[in-house]
Amino acid sequence: MLRSLLGILLVFVCGLLAVGVTFSASSQDRAEFAFINPVEPRSLDPTRINGEPEGRVLDALFEGLTYLDAKSLRPAPGMAESWEISADGRRYVFRIRKSARWSDGHPVTAHDFCFAWRRLLDPSLGAEYAGVLFPVRDAEAYNTYASRADSLEQPIAKALSALGRAHPERIPSAAFRAFASEQHLEAAVKGTPNAELLSLLKEADAGLPSSRLPLLSRALESEAQRLRSEGALAERRFGRETGVVAADDHTLIVELNAPTPYFLELTAFYPTYPVPRWVIERPGLGETWFLPENIVSNGPFRLASWRVGDRIRMVKSETYWGKDRVRLKSVDALPIENGTTALNMYLTGQADWMPTNSFPADLIDELKKRPDFNKGPALAVYYYRVNTTRKPFNDPRVRKALSMAIDREVITRDVLAIGQEPTFRLVPPGIAGYEPPVPELRYDLAQARALLADAGFPGGKGFPKFGILFNTMEAHKKIAEVIADQWKRGLGIEANGYNQEWQAYQATTQLLDYDLSRAAWIGDYEDPNTFLELYVTNGGNNQTGWGSRVYDQLIAAAGDIERFLKSPGALLPELREREKIQALIDAALAEQEPAAHLVLANRLRMALFREAEALLINDAVPIIPIYFYVNNGLVKPRVHGFYKELRDPDGKKRPNLRDRHPLREVWVEDGEAHGP
Amino acid sequence: MRDGPWAAAARRLSRNRPALLGAAVLLVLSLLCVLGPSLLGLDAMLTSPELRNRPPSSEHWFGTDAIGRDLFARVLVGGQASLAVGVVATLVSVVVGVSYGMVAGFYGGKLDEVMMRFVDFMYGLPYMFLVILIMLLFSETARGQMLPVFVALGLVQWLTMARIVRGQVLSLRHREFVLAAELLGASDLRILSRHLLPNITGVVIVYATLMVPQVIILESFLSFLGLGVALSWGQLVSDGIAVVNPVRSYWWLLVWPGAFLGLTLLSLNFLGDGLRDALDPKSRE
Amino acid sequence: MGPKEVVALLVGLALLVGTVFLPPRPTRWVSALCVFAAAFVGFRIALSPAASAVIATGLALAAFAYLPALAQRRVVFLVPAMVVLIFATTLLMYAAPGNPFANERVATPTVEAALRAKYGVPKSATDFFFVYMGRLIREGTLGPSIKVLGRSVEDLLLPAFPVSVSLGLFAILLSVAIGASLGVIAGLKKNSAADYASMALALIGVSFPNFLIGAGLMVVFAIWLGVLPVAGWGGYAHLVMPAIALALPSAAVIARLARGGVVEVMQQDYIRAARAKGLPESWVVVRHALRGALTPVVSYLGPAAATTMTGSFVVEVLFGVPGMGQWFVKGAVNRDYSVVLGTAIVYFGMIIVFNLLVDLAYVWLDPRLRTQKAGDA
Repeated sequence: MLRSLLGILLVFVCGLLAVGVTFSASSQDRAEFAFINPVEPRSLDPTRINGEPEGRVLDALFEGLTYLDAKSLRPAPGMAESWEISADGRRYVFRIRKSARWSDGHPVTAHDFCFAWRRLLDPSLGAEYAGVLFPVRDAEAYNTYASRADSLEQPIAKALSALGRAHPERIPSAAFRAFASEQHLEAAVKGTPNAELLSLLKEADAGLPSSRLPLLSRALESEAQRLRSEGALAERRFGRETGVVAADDHTLIVELNAPTPYFLELTAFYPTYPVPRWVIERPGLGETWFLPENIVSNGPFRLASWRVGDRIRMVKSETYWGKDRVRLKSVDALPIENGTTALNMYLTGQADWMPTNSFPADLIDELKKRPDFNKGPALAVYYYRVNTTRKPFNDPRVRKALSMAIDREVITRDVLAIGQEPTFRLVPPGIAGYEPPVPELRYDLAQARALLADAGFPGGKGFPKFGILFNTMEAHKKIAEVIADQWKRGLGIEANGYNQEWQAYQATTQLLDYDLSRAAWIGDYEDPNTFLELYVTNGGNNQTGWGSRVYDQLIAAAGDIERFLKSPGALLPELREREKIQALIDAALAEQEPAAHLVLANRLRMALFREAEALLINDAVPIIPIYFYVNNGLVKPRVHGFYKELRDPDGKKRPNLRDRHPLREVWVEDGEAHGP
Repeated sequence: MRDGPWAAAARRLSRNRPALLGAAVLLVLSLLCVLGPSLLGLDAMLTSPELRNRPPSSEHWFGTDAIGRDLFARVLVGGQASLAVGVVATLVSVVVGVSYGMVAGFYGGKLDEVMMRFVDFMYGLPYMFLVILIMLLFSETARGQMLPVFVALGLVQWLTMARIVRGQVLSLRHREFVLAAELLGASDLRILSRHLLPNITGVVIVYATLMVPQVIILESFLSFLGLGVALSWGQLVSDGIAVVNPVRSYWWLLVWPGAFLGLTLLSLNFLGDGLRDALDPKSRE
Repeated sequence: MGPKEVVALLVGLALLVGTVFLPPRPTRWVSALCVFAAAFVGFRIALSPAASAVIATGLALAAFAYLPALAQRRVVFLVPAMVVLIFATTLLMYAAPGNPFANERVATPTVEAALRAKYGVPKSATDFFFVYMGRLIREGTLGPSIKVLGRSVEDLLLPAFPVSVSLGLFAILLSVAIGASLGVIAGLKKNSAADYASMALALIGVSFPNFLIGAGLMVVFAIWLGVLPVAGWGGYAHLVMPAIALALPSAAVIARLARGGVVEVMQQDYIRAARAKGLPESWVVVRHALRGALTPVVSYLGPAAATTMTGSFVVEVLFGVPGMGQWFVKGAVNRDYSVVLGTAIVYFGMIIVFNLLVDLAYVWLDPRLRTQKAGDA
């Protein structure tokens, strides 16, 4: 017995020693500034990431041609110390700063940008944010044409001949539409100059006699060939002769397809950051090039260490051109997912900043009383998707009735309680130049009941019991339960909220295997397009089964306003505000002075977006918007350089919609100790 | 007239005050949960967000939750599911685990080894994926129902029970009373049921009473994957835990479901100990 | 899951049953072979092929010469079972909705194909199984993580493993110490204050999930009293709260099981006989009662130790412990297939080892089993 006791004691001591060994690797004092970064970054490679948590780290480590100034979040000269824009707004010449250095001492050159941008667009890398560069000439062709040609030649051709076999006489309109939507035909032939193909497609939409089928196949084939050859050409030229070209080490020339007013903001967005070619191409590194032992960066900080699940430590870079203005010596990004733990770390002084939604939502009533709590509007919307391919939700009256029977006030005031804005619209307020349409729907139970009765369900009788799908999270559950209760009481219909974990939820919504599903969208940039392009027919994030030709054309027209100006004809008669838009077209065409023309063209663009949003939220209603998010966070008083309200260079104020606080301009001042 | 062993056990049980008390409390709790909501006209799903997070009052005896639903109603309705899940899933895993473990321990040798290696293998399969697949097997309409939950819980809970029973049987297998029964020509089934089973009831009951709370809590994990029942104590407790923090606690959200859960377990343990004593062959008169 | 895959799985399971019926002499050979295979693949992750071959050969020889028969049979099961487990888990993962490349911003088919090729995740489960096994044997790697890029699964698990094992060991010892002593005392003094105390502990430990216990500890000791750090890993002070949170639930079960066992055993004839012989009570307890009473505790400890020592997600998240538990959940939630398999391999290995230890402990607790085992074999 004594022996076994001794044995247990021995094991115990060994255990303690073993624990001790694991400590040494992780004992680190906290950095000067530490913040909660709620998700562990997947990667630091701009081609492999898409999230805010990665963006916060990348913005500190790298710098693009421009960077966003903390006080205004407007582009300021970064790697480019100056630039000239041609009169037509399509050509930018950037002068790269001579003092710009990588953290290993290499100078930053124009070639680094050519390499990085080519890499971002490389179709085999599949960068999710490749689209950021599509305003640049040949970028889209390089990134997408080859794969579009593939899909035209392989699955689409196969499916089309199968369609011909199945309907030997005549392909009915419905069958062709089903084929087109299944094969994402519209996306594959987007922007084709082939007039014959376009007219054939239009014809087929109404039903195609089999005799015309070979013609269509051939037209698609030649479109595939065109895409392939133009794609190959773009692949050869982009970054060397077209799109982005290094005239010399310090001169970068960028050609755009169309004037892009927000282009200098894109060059401050992490997908466009330069990357160190000599590190990425070092043999054997592969995806480890961005780990601390290998990475070379050009931003205000460099990566000192990265322990997964513990912290990312960044320290001030001594090679950064503007190092005199960087005041933080070290920064920790703490990947704490649990809200309670994060809050406890904040309260005990282990973290200085908790960004939006990193703390437990249940505590909001208490936290919002704190002096270090701050909030502001956000560029994000919370809504329900409706599966428009299922009965009875294929009836717009039903969708409108559902939307009109939700008392959104109750949700924002009492369930969420941080002052979110209830909404019937999709695009959040605060985007400069965009005047959203007036919603025609409102909270009105009587009218909702009337609409439901119209659709054949008086008093909710005969309405099937349906499900509200949401991804597992307490707040979504509460909202779904409140809304289900409102529908039950208001319309007499039964809904049942149910959850799935994230991956299953995504698979389910992509397969349209739901009735209603919760969704949210955070704007990638301050433009209505980031929200409205979601609902183009068969868009990857549409996931409602809804589609409208007019809507697609509106979004396409806004994407290439100069082309629309040349031939606005077909679309105009279908618009609500056609007189106003016609007037804008005329004014823009009449204006020859480039800057003024740009202003007018942009106004027209916004009017088209407004038209599209009106169609979405007032007529079709494939989505039920619920509220606009707010940003909220906790920042210690010792932290300076955080701006809730931004001030444009011209003195105009606007909210910090994306809760961004560039670390380059943050500093800490300790009045007292760090303590709680 | 001579009592059968069961009647004797019942008689012994009826003399055990704590066990009787436990049984009575369980009965009252079950009745309250099953009949209470309809008798008292309570609605567990009726929301009134403007009355959220109110402490207990004369109107809402247990207070209200984060969207203003009556916590008393929710605790009672949640009790229906939790009691059913706890009892049924435990019973299922007891039946499966005990028979499996007894067979393995009794016959020993290769059969035992095959059966136990199967148990090990089952332990090794990632539970989350098993649950996700069970979810897929049951249609959307069965979601929120109890059957898939029983299946998901039963799938793993019997494993440890089987190992414990097998270990007990292994050590009883070569005891004198078993060998004697074998020599007298008793059938295997008779030895298992009349000689071995009574000798392992103690452990089985103790572990089963411990399994009930584990099952009730595990159910709240299933609801994370979208496979919980609509409302249960496990979920109420984990909702309550979410608001335990240094800033401010809505204590009633944790205390009431916790208290009902605790009271149930306490009663179960008393009843379990009483049953154990009553069924113990050593204390036979 | 196609019919072919199901058939393959059944064949694999049948082969596993077959390993049990291997006669003793080949068992010795096959077990040495299995030890070699497992050790070679295992050490390949850290060492060169030559070095791991040398070590594996040494271990195989040692196993051949010294490994007890029971352990040899277990090894012969373990290695093929691991392969079947990998296959079965792969089928499960592929049958679940979602895949590692499904993302909020939908990838085009071409991009998805490129990514699948890059990370070795083909569209069919069987193909993935062969890619995975081939990589494991040829390159000695558990594969790249698809959600923590630039890191292989061993990069993630190797630093986490010692953390979880040492924390888990600490917690298990704590729970045995608390649970067994409370349980034995309670069992000896049935219906006494000590008995009720053990019952109270069991109730708290079992009916509240460990994250509640953890959160409570955190509020009291870290926030109010400020004597322990809130979260993190870097000193013995960081160990206290997670270990207690991990230990209490199993301490509770152990206490109840031990109590039941002791109550049972103290009524046995041989204890009465020992007492009648006039042996001192403490000697009776230690020498006889304890052994018999602890069998159920030991049975329970096998899986419990394996589970505790591979980490607990909730406790790790709550206390910021860089352990392995998080990878069980993150792997599954992200459908990061290689991570799921990596954790499954570790967990399965632990289950087998601890259940083997339990089976050895039965023999130690009850010497009569030794003769029986010998007779069987």
